[in-house]
Amino acid sequence: MAANTDLSHRSPLLERPWVRWAVIGLVIVLMIVLPLMLPEFANQTIARIGVFAVAVLGLNVVMGYTGQVSLGQIFFVGVGAYVTAFGVNADWNILLVFVLACIVPAVIGLVIALAAARLGGLAIAMVTIALPIIGVPLAKRLSDFTGGSQGTSARFSSAPEWTGLYDDQWQLYIVFLIGGITFMLTRNLVRGKYGRAFAIVKGTEAVAGSLGVSPYRFKVLAFTIASLIGGVSGFLYMVVIQYTSPETLHFGHSIELLASMVIGGAGSILGSLLGGIWYVLLPQVTNLIDPNITAMLQGAILLVVLFILPGGLVSLPSLWRRRGRDGGSGRPGGPVGGAMQADAAASVVGTSTVGDALGAPSTQPPPPTTQSPPPPTTQS
Amino acid sequence: MGTFIQLVIDGLSTGSIYAALALAIVLVNQATGLINFAQGGMAVLSAYIAWALNGLGIPLLLAIVAAVVISFFLGAVIERYLIRRFERGDPDTAVVVTIGLLTLITGFCAWIWTYNNRLFPSLFPLETIQIAGAVVSVRSLGTFIVIVACMLLLQALFLGTKLGLALRAVAINPASAAFSGVNVGRNLMIGWGLAAVLGAVAGVLVAPQLTLTPGMMDSALVYALAACILGGLSSPIGVVVAAWLIGVLENLAAVYVPFIGHDLKIAVPFILIFVVLIVRPQGLFGRKAVVRV
Repeated sequence: MAANTDLSHRSPLLERPWVRWAVIGLVIVLMIVLPLMLPEFANQTIARIGVFAVAVLGLNVVMGYTGQVSLGQIFFVGVGAYVTAFGVNADWNILLVFVLACIVPAVIGLVIALAAARLGGLAIAMVTIALPIIGVPLAKRLSDFTGGSQGTSARFSSAPEWTGLYDDQWQLYIVFLIGGITFMLTRNLVRGKYGRAFAIVKGTEAVAGSLGVSPYRFKVLAFTIASLIGGVSGFLYMVVIQYTSPETLHFGHSIELLASMVIGGAGSILGSLLGGIWYVLLPQVTNLIDPNITAMLQGAILLVVLFILPGGLVSLPSLWRRRGRDGGSGRPGGPVGGAMQADAAASVVGTSTVGDALGAPSTQPPPPTTQSPPPPTTQS
Repeated sequence: MGTFIQLVIDGLSTGSIYAALALAIVLVNQATGLINFAQGGMAVLSAYIAWALNGLGIPLLLAIVAAVVISFFLGAVIERYLIRRFERGDPDTAVVVTIGLLTLITGFCAWIWTYNNRLFPSLFPLETIQIAGAVVSVRSLGTFIVIVACMLLLQALFLGTKLGLALRAVAINPASAAFSGVNVGRNLMIGWGLAAVLGAVAGVLVAPQLTLTPGMMDSALVYALAACILGGLSSPIGVVVAAWLIGVLENLAAVYVPFIGHDLKIAVPFILIFVVLIVRPQGLFGRKAVVRV
């Protein structure tokens, strides 16, 4: 980022501490004031965006940051929602319910990851695709716990008397509070040493191993954290929607979450928020035209994003700046998210032995320039 | 005993469907190193094409053959204009591309033909025959025989023809194949086309049973992926055996294990996978990949 400062006029302003604090302050003020001013429908929509932004954030931890494709995120959201509903209906303390709604999905995620991560490559994707597909009949079967195909509802998020708020305002505040904390904690996680370990695992497992970072352990960790965040999202889901059924776990929703994550921006906190907005607003927009085109549009846009904007919507501004600067030498069709440095690392390892260089599938030898990180870091 | 044999033969029949899809996935994986999550979606599209052609008055068998041929070109075109761009890059990106393709194709089918179930006419008569005291439907037997015939044909193609040799060369080492004058790009297209053909056959065979919907092959895809994990992606025979094993076991478990029943039988292969992963991480028949660091 530091290299950007002498090339662009706009980023230094955002880099200054007081601007950052001002922006954060403004966001907090908006989060407090907006629910009081907006109409009910807008509040509900924003609350739902919050719910799914958290779900996308969890997916981003395992997929965007650690590079393990997961097709089961909606399963953990569903488990969190069911645990919440069950706890509330059994009259447990709401704090206990929240903790359980986080821990139960995390433990399930841990067990699944312990087995799935043993297989290298795409095994996590191949195993997790089964979660929503097994989850739906399982939820129907365990009807004592889940209410069967009727689903189950839990009303616990009505605004208390003393606040004088409407229900939708109160719910939105809960989403802002819990969602905001989740986003902040996740941001710190991926910026810290764990985040760096995730990035190395995403890049090349061999490099990770040689640096003393166990790919297996960090894949399991990332998947567990993703499941936990999914559980948080499930709790918020019950706060806002107050009803869950096996339909919540449907396979299609898992794919939509994944598409939203990539379209919003893989490996980006802000991208998760954009992903949540996309997840909630796309069906609302397409329903106005023709509900049958939602899936097709989602798929088509996902492919278009992968082709021309691999960093997702969140990378639009930087792409724009780069275009303006050096006449559009952006690299379309690159890997999802910021895996470019990792590619450089891979090319170093890939050519370490002659046999590998000839035998490895990636036999288009990368030009030496790719070994230094991409365009923005031009030497000054 | 009669029930048992019947369950085994029905299991082999559904297992053959999974096997065809799994084999298509292995074919693509061997050639391009990625997992095509859209394989099931492409099979559904093929089945819809056959259904639409049949609706236009073309005889069923002819419609199916036409759909299979169209699928071949569709698979080749998808490889050339969509997948080619991501083939040598990050495998995770390529996987997301195939998931996007799955969404696109499913959405396309839903847009053209809606989510309503369509009745697909069966190739085989709805009769039953007696084998060793068991009542076996002709459809199960026919499905099994057609898929085995497809596999034998494929095997003959790979081992007995020059085209098969080129395909294998491209799968093993694209660079050396290119040095020897093999057109790598065209062979990749053929590989994808053949995979689409296998999927199309599976699609039209399973459609009469499940009725045609855009999500018809979703669970078949899950079974096929499970077969790929169990059999090991490097072993076509292992994958087929694993698929049959899954088909038979889930059928038996659905009837003989009360808790599982028909709704939860999809969990069976994954319980199997958990056991296998702990005992043999490289799959039942797969080779252990040795990575040099």
